[in-house]
Amino acid sequence: MLNVNNIVKQYATHLALDDVSLSVEQGKIFGLLGPNGAGKTSLIRIITQITAPDSGEVIFNGQRLNASHISQIGYLPEERGLYKKMEIGEQVMYLAKLKGMSSAEATKRVRYWFEKLEMGSWWNKKVEDLSKGMQQKVQFVATVLHEPELIILDEPFSGFDPVNADIIKNEILELNKQGATFIFSTHRMESVEELCDSIALIHHSKKILDGSVAEIKEKYRNNTYWVEYDGEYNPVSGAGIFDVLQKDVHKGKTTLKVQLMEGKTANELLSVLLPVVNIHRLDEVIPTMNDIFIDQVKQKN
Amino acid sequence: MHKILLIIQREYLSRVRKKSFIVMTLLTPIIVAGFYGLLIYFSIQGASSTNNKIAVVSENKTLTEQLASTKNTSYVYVNKSLAEMKSSLGKDGFDYILYLPDFSLDAPAGIQLLGTKQAGLSMNSKVVDDVENAIRIQKLKASGIAQEDLDKLKSSVNIDNKKINDSGEEEDSSAGATTIIGSAAGILMFMFILIYGIQVMRGVIEEKTSRIIEVMISSVKPFQLMMGKIIGIALVGLTQFILWILLSASISTVAVKAFVDKKDLQQTAVSAVQANTAQAKTGSAIEKQVTDGGPIAYVQKSMANLDLTKILLVFIFFFIGGYLFYSALYAAIGSAVDSETETQQFIMPVMMPLTLGYVLSLSVVTNDPYGNIAFWLSMIPFTSPIAMMVRLPYGVPDWQLALSMVLLVVGFIGTVWVASRIYRVGILMYGKKTSLKEMLKWFTYKN
Repeated sequence: MLNVNNIVKQYATHLALDDVSLSVEQGKIFGLLGPNGAGKTSLIRIITQITAPDSGEVIFNGQRLNASHISQIGYLPEERGLYKKMEIGEQVMYLAKLKGMSSAEATKRVRYWFEKLEMGSWWNKKVEDLSKGMQQKVQFVATVLHEPELIILDEPFSGFDPVNADIIKNEILELNKQGATFIFSTHRMESVEELCDSIALIHHSKKILDGSVAEIKEKYRNNTYWVEYDGEYNPVSGAGIFDVLQKDVHKGKTTLKVQLMEGKTANELLSVLLPVVNIHRLDEVIPTMNDIFIDQVKQKN
Repeated sequence: MHKILLIIQREYLSRVRKKSFIVMTLLTPIIVAGFYGLLIYFSIQGASSTNNKIAVVSENKTLTEQLASTKNTSYVYVNKSLAEMKSSLGKDGFDYILYLPDFSLDAPAGIQLLGTKQAGLSMNSKVVDDVENAIRIQKLKASGIAQEDLDKLKSSVNIDNKKINDSGEEEDSSAGATTIIGSAAGILMFMFILIYGIQVMRGVIEEKTSRIIEVMISSVKPFQLMMGKIIGIALVGLTQFILWILLSASISTVAVKAFVDKKDLQQTAVSAVQANTAQAKTGSAIEKQVTDGGPIAYVQKSMANLDLTKILLVFIFFFIGGYLFYSALYAAIGSAVDSETETQQFIMPVMMPLTLGYVLSLSVVTNDPYGNIAFWLSMIPFTSPIAMMVRLPYGVPDWQLALSMVLLVVGFIGTVWVASRIYRVGILMYGKKTSLKEMLKWFTYKN
């Protein structure tokens, strides 16, 4: 639904985005990753039409991005805020109307969301009387209220306690089920693994990796396994099947990290071990998004 | 367009509903009316009731019975010694003792004014004047001039200001009232532009520091947000101004009816005239003043010569124009900083022309409302809102008024344009100390 094509954005002295392209599929949750200052926010600001790119284009549902798309995008910035002296209900209504909703429609939707997230009694409270977590909830509601097709969340869970983070996560999944597409910008890799269908990694203004989470993980598998056993066995690196990367002995149990040779399988590893030891555990070492992220960023440095 | 209306509505309502706005709007006219009420009350009271009784102990034969009592000071010659009077002072109904020792008229010395309380400055100079006058008259008489010749010497001059208008007719001019109205309008203009311009700046900074700006800008264009805020706050200013006018008008009407009944006013006028007549019995100017009904009537009459409706309408125009001109600059400043403490260095260059216009308008323009400086001050948009208001009551040719208005409109379109280009970059910049040079750079940025 969203295609970013060859975007370049130059600020006075530094290049914020250098020929970045990516595409987000309809109904998916897309993770936009990258270290601080990589250019994520610059890209989001272009998609939300806060700034315009120097060159390149953004295609939204087959059309070049224009003002009519504003009402179809919801944006929760990382640095978020509300008018401190304004009442919550009025404030959310105001933001909804600015996105083009009618007064009646907005009232209905605000009531629905306030009820759903147990904020019913907040309507006449002022923002300055709410805790930070409560303010975050209000902002989340303001972001999704106008039923946007594309919802962009920049660090959506920062500032939430685990209970509220879980509530918001479930709301995201539910909205996603109803057809909303999400772009997630975050550093928290565990939420990326949990939620995202695909990702793009931006580093030093360039996109260095993208694709579906499953594919990327598949690509980063390198035939490494954890084996835990008890019994007397001194593994010999090689033997034509595996290399030992690491060995720990603890209370009579041995834990090995091994990497299989090219073309060998876990079955062949087991066939070597089974006759000599009692096996407790065999795990494939699957790289986490966190590992991939660190690995990629370090490589490029 | 729909969005800018929403913004105007929010900016307007959020300010008008504030307690501080309601209190300020209601209280100011009451305070001002109360202040003027007190002023008028005391001047009437002062004119009618302050009466100092002075016992004159004169050892000087030539000055006996020569001091004439006036409305506020009555001289009573007593045949008692100074020591006697001193001991009974305060109990015998006298406020002061004036002691005139036996001195030669050429070298008066040893005169004393004694009282239970220190004589005020005006009281003191009045007595000095009276004594000097009495001595002068005695000296003139001594050199052989008759009393009736002395009376003829006295004359009271009253200049009648007239202005010849374009069609050659005489118009009553009203220097006093024009100066008051002009200065008041100028001061009001200065205050309004400053107060509401700063409000725009605060509003922009608030949006920036509360970080709502990014959410807003993902919904509306920076220009819409800036103009919405500026117009919303302008409407707040107009609301306050109109309420002030209506409230002051009704309060003063009610107050005049309730507290100052007409007799009092007439009495003041009449007694003022009597006082004048007592001092100078001849002179045609006095007669004129009697028919005019005294100084209060004079101010009322000269007010009637001013076209207050025109002044009010022009004020509203120049308020809107001057406010737009300056508030756009304030919006640009607000967008460039992270907090109000950083605004000082930028406020200075914006405040300078406004303050200069204010100071010059109240000095140079008031003294010479048709001069070159006055003309240029009322043309340049930086100073014209104030200078034109000060000039207006003196009469400004229509072409000058029109030109000044056109220049102001061109001026604010210019500042709004410049400001919006700085604003759209500034509101998204955080954590950097901004310099004027940087702001100029933002101005040249592409979108």
